[in-house]
Amino acid sequence: MSARDQILGKIEPLEPIKHPGAFQGASEDFDFQASLAVVGARVVTSSELEEIFPGRRRYDKTLDGLSLAEIEVLEIDGEFGVAENGAIWLTEEAMPHRVAPFICQHLVINVKKIVPHMHAAYEELGKVKSGFGLFLAGPSKTADIEQSLVIGAHGARSLTVVIRS
Amino acid sequence: MLSHSEASEKFISDAERTDWHDETLWFVRAKRDKASKVLPEWEAMREHASQIKDHTLANLGEYLQAFEAKAIANGIKVHWAADAAEHNAIVHSIIAAQGSKTIVKSKSMLTEECHLNDYLASKGIDVVDTDLGERIVQFRNEAPSHIVLPAIHLKKEDVGETFHQHLGTPKGNKDPQFLTEAARQHLRGHFLASEVAITGVNFAVAETGEFVVCTNEGNADMGAHLAKVHIACTGIEKIIPKRADLAVFLRLLARSATGQLITTYSSHFHKPREGQEMHIVLLDNGRTRQLADPKYKNSLKCIRCAACFNTCPVYRRSGGHSYHQPVAGPIGSILAPNIDKKANADLPFASTLCGSCSNVCPVKINIHEQLWFWRQDLMEAGLAPAGKTIGMKLMAFTLANPAIYRIGGSLLRRFSALLNTSLNPWYKQREMPEAPKESFQEWYKKR
Ligand code: SF4
Repeated sequence: MSARDQILGKIEPLEPIKHPGAFQGASEDFDFQASLAVVGARVVTSSELEEIFPGRRRYDKTLDGLSLAEIEVLEIDGEFGVAENGAIWLTEEAMPHRVAPFICQHLVINVKKIVPHMHAAYEELGKVKSGFGLFLAGPSKTADIEQSLVIGAHGARSLTVVIRS
Repeated sequence: MLSHSEASEKFISDAERTDWHDETLWFVRAKRDKASKVLPEWEAMREHASQIKDHTLANLGEYLQAFEAKAIANGIKVHWAADAAEHNAIVHSIIAAQGSKTIVKSKSMLTEECHLNDYLASKGIDVVDTDLGERIVQFRNEAPSHIVLPAIHLKKEDVGETFHQHLGTPKGNKDPQFLTEAARQHLRGHFLASEVAITGVNFAVAETGEFVVCTNEGNADMGAHLAKVHIACTGIEKIIPKRADLAVFLRLLARSATGQLITTYSSHFHKPREGQEMHIVLLDNGRTRQLADPKYKNSLKCIRCAACFNTCPVYRRSGGHSYHQPVAGPIGSILAPNIDKKANADLPFASTLCGSCSNVCPVKINIHEQLWFWRQDLMEAGLAPAGKTIGMKLMAFTLANPAIYRIGGSLLRRFSALLNTSLNPWYKQREMPEAPKESFQEWYKKR
């Protein structure tokens, strides 16, 4: 018997318990910018961005995984931000390669739309449209050495967010 | 193998380090409290998550098949493994087909459970663990001591010395920033070169056939997106029904784990990228047995946040290695006896049954009750630690016989030194109060 049949054969249905449905009663009063500060991202205006990163690279489909490793600053578009935790939803369509937001040294994301919390975020996402997507909240970090927070573990060393209306 | 109490004795022999470990984990627990208390809906979310998990376990077979069908339609190759040996053989065959000799792996407690690294090493394949904490313990030939903070038993001096030996960092440099940078450079080379990447799975969604992997460092993504072949390894209990269910789990997970609002990266893998091979291995390894036992099935609801570790007064003062299992702490102590009763019979006793674990658990697992159930089962099976069995029998006998209780009490009051023997662990490293001259009953009679 295959492992599949063996495993499924061992699983007896248990007493039925209903799925609780959509979560109701989530708080709404979250501040996206405050959450971004908590997760270690900075928010700048578009003119400030020009000053800080004049030589940044924009989305470019010709960049492959390995050539992206050479990129200092990459700018991409986020689909929306989540106010409760500063996360930004990104899909592979907005990136030159799936590894892009991880492998570049510094990341810039443009955000136009903000939803209050994760429940609204998944409502916004609806059906799956991309082969790969992620919530990204701040720069890469670790606290694996004595619980001291270090920014810039394997992914981008900094995250700069431009909120464009 | 040392029992939990023997290993703990070694751990606490360094009092300063024990205090540091205790306080640091308590600090993480406090961060969890702060993060949860700002959400008035926190308790409602725990209840909601618990119900989703109950519902899923009640229909696990259906959801697994739904997940499988969707994942296959998405172009993901789905494998089933009944036990650790099968799991390891599947992973090896995928790597062998690629011909790789060195591969990268992000955090996966399940591969620890299966001892995958040792197995692959025996086949000539070198696994590079890419989570910083896991890389540190891998260099030291140790196991992770905590499922979220693998190197929490180490101080920065230890890490400095380990990196000096393995990465050639200057001797004596123990700056976390500097050491993390050294690891970043070292592991980047492996990410760019590796053709196969293994990751764990936090959630697998039946509705969509996608799986979600959460990290703070970005190591799972660096590996998976650069490799030609991505192998994701998961226990069958990681299934959740709907995509929208992720909202409540992602809100709970990081807040419970470290007090963060969300992990830095919550990646949703739905389809392989163009030209990539993506595999998922679904492992049983005793989970169906656990599911069939009403007393213990709830342990399968776990989302591996480690909040129960951080709050546990025993874990904080005994360290993860004393549990001699890949998953330590309160949850490990109720999972491990299911896999091997005899070898893990000491673990359900490594608890005060204070119930703090159950109070912080984001999916409301009755952890402390299950510890107590295991104690009963192990006693019945004659597997409980010998000292405990004799002590408990003596205690039961004494409490059931008032006369003996009274005589015993007066004897022990007069010769309290009798209690302070090597047979009585309560006297180790504790200042015990003086025994009063008379019992309550004697005093009462005299009035
Ligand atoms: S048992 Fe609960 S608290 Fe412990 S790791 Fe699992 S989900 Fe977290």
